[in-house]
Amino acid sequence: MTGWHLLQAAPAVVRQPVIIGIAALYFVVVAAIGVWASRRTRSARDFFVAGKGIGIVTLAIAAMASTLSGFAFIGGPGLVYTAGTGAVFIVLSASITNTMGAWVLAKRMRLLGEARGLMTVPDAIGARFRSPAAQGLSAVAILVAVVGYMATNFLALGLVIDAMFGTGLTFGIWLAMLVTLSYTMTGGILAGVYTDLFEGLVKTAASVTVFWFVWRAGGGMEGISRAITAVDATFLGPWGKMPALSALSLFFVFGMGALGQPHVAHKFYMLRNPRQLKWYPLLMSGAMALTLLLYVGVGLVMRAKVAGGALPPLVRADDATPAFVLGFTPGAVAGLVFAGVIAAGMSTVNSFMNIGAAALTHDLPRAFGRRVGEELRWGRAWTLVLSLAAVLLAQLPGTLVAFLGIFGYGLFAATLVPSLAIGLNWQGATREGAVASIATGLTLTLGLETLAFFKAFALPTGVTVSGLALLLSLLVFFAVSWATRARAASQLDADVRMVMDA
Amino acid sequence: MTTRSALAGLVLSCTAISAAYLLAFLPGGAPPWAAWGLALGSAGALASMIALGAARGGRVRPVALAASVFVFLLVGGAFGAALLLPANEGPSAVLVLGLPLRTAIVLYGIGVVPMLVLPLAYALSFDRETLSDDDLERIRRATREGDA
Repeated sequence: MTGWHLLQAAPAVVRQPVIIGIAALYFVVVAAIGVWASRRTRSARDFFVAGKGIGIVTLAIAAMASTLSGFAFIGGPGLVYTAGTGAVFIVLSASITNTMGAWVLAKRMRLLGEARGLMTVPDAIGARFRSPAAQGLSAVAILVAVVGYMATNFLALGLVIDAMFGTGLTFGIWLAMLVTLSYTMTGGILAGVYTDLFEGLVKTAASVTVFWFVWRAGGGMEGISRAITAVDATFLGPWGKMPALSALSLFFVFGMGALGQPHVAHKFYMLRNPRQLKWYPLLMSGAMALTLLLYVGVGLVMRAKVAGGALPPLVRADDATPAFVLGFTPGAVAGLVFAGVIAAGMSTVNSFMNIGAAALTHDLPRAFGRRVGEELRWGRAWTLVLSLAAVLLAQLPGTLVAFLGIFGYGLFAATLVPSLAIGLNWQGATREGAVASIATGLTLTLGLETLAFFKAFALPTGVTVSGLALLLSLLVFFAVSWATRARAASQLDADVRMVMDA
Repeated sequence: MTTRSALAGLVLSCTAISAAYLLAFLPGGAPPWAAWGLALGSAGALASMIALGAARGGRVRPVALAASVFVFLLVGGAFGAALLLPANEGPSAVLVLGLPLRTAIVLYGIGVVPMLVLPLAYALSFDRETLSDDDLERIRRATREGDA
């Protein structure tokens, strides 16, 4: 779990007025955005797709903010501190995936959304294959992943709030939920997108500032490398402390999996003018690169400091970021980073609250041939129910909560990449292929992760559950679509075909 | 290049990755060369997805095709170099831009270079290859006519 061991062990170091002041200011701005957005949310369309009126800069920064959760600021640097270069393979493909996502998903999602008035990612799958079953199954996959992700992020936020304000963990978790819920439930995704914009800017500012201190403390990249390579010949090797197969497996899962993240794909519906997509990869890649500087830099400089004898080894790897900002940056920067960590958690959670509520309000009823009246009211009600469920889960034993959060990315990848990313670009794909691949991804991910959690089974080194599930889901999609290819043309509506040809 | 070729590339890439994963189940673990399956398979999968997504009317346009080939060569080449070059990341390591050679090839080659090239290629070819004002108007007109 996110390592606030250091902060909890030394709360007086954290509870400096400047750090608490910056964090409190952050909450005030978020609350103000929530109030502003709630006054502009009058329909389900406003609630789920921000009235389809978002500009490209807001869209790109909000997409970056919801993509990079608290892991980018805490768990990620901790993993770099432990595994060296190998941990960078989680984010290495980001230099390609944002542009790839624009080519594969952005235009087609946006045009299909306009042609059909779509609001959710399962909507797009349902429309593509004219299949309520595919829409419903993908909504179930999203729901399972969303609740786990939310629980993990609420726990992380609770730990941060407790460390900073001394609230106690349980109250910290509830406070995190109530703040996020208040603006998500009233302002829907409109509030979510604009708080994401603010939170994205906070994260980027925090990352760039910290990286400057990393550079200075480590003596540049060469200073960091010299300190590490003097004592460890593999840490800065191309795969770090991992076997090559494991590092490459991460690259495959996070590279291809980026095309199946619903909280990012969903945002394409919200863009006011589809011609603005021209600048999406540039803005998204730039924002993400700047925000990932902290991820890479802090783990390396902390390892260099330990290798050079300037610091004792960290008790927990996840202490890397708190230890660095408290030890090597002024209080205002530490405050900015802690606000960035809160921002990272909240911006991810609010997106998941919204797509989870949409799955319950919109997608699952449609899968059973029903439509919910007053989707706005039901969307708000389900947001509340999901948040309560996630908060209760967050109070389970830590290892179980971590388990729930682990498989989210892989589950999205294994269930959505074939049917959404390939399905929207291959007219020969069939609904049978889509349903079979979603079912394969869902079953394999949940089954194998559960067996691994209870230590009933372990995959060999280099093979991950998420990699295997994604691969088999892709192969099932191709095989079943090929076997049922005679039905492909009849399953494609004229307007969907037009968008796919566009 | 056509959609069909991009799909063939994707299936081939998945097959290469499957082979690497299957080798990992061998007694004693995967042989070192199994990593080639994942290295080339991952490069091929990303390159094929770019070609598949950028295709219009079944054909991949020139800039997108060049981007797809570029990604395959860059990612496959960088991982290949890391697998082929001798390990030298100890105290006597030669540093390139602050990192040991093999690591610099992977991190700068895959993590930085595409970020400087791909977004610009996408933006500069957007009007011609992805979505022009005329394309948008044509689609909107067809949608309105379909609704009517």
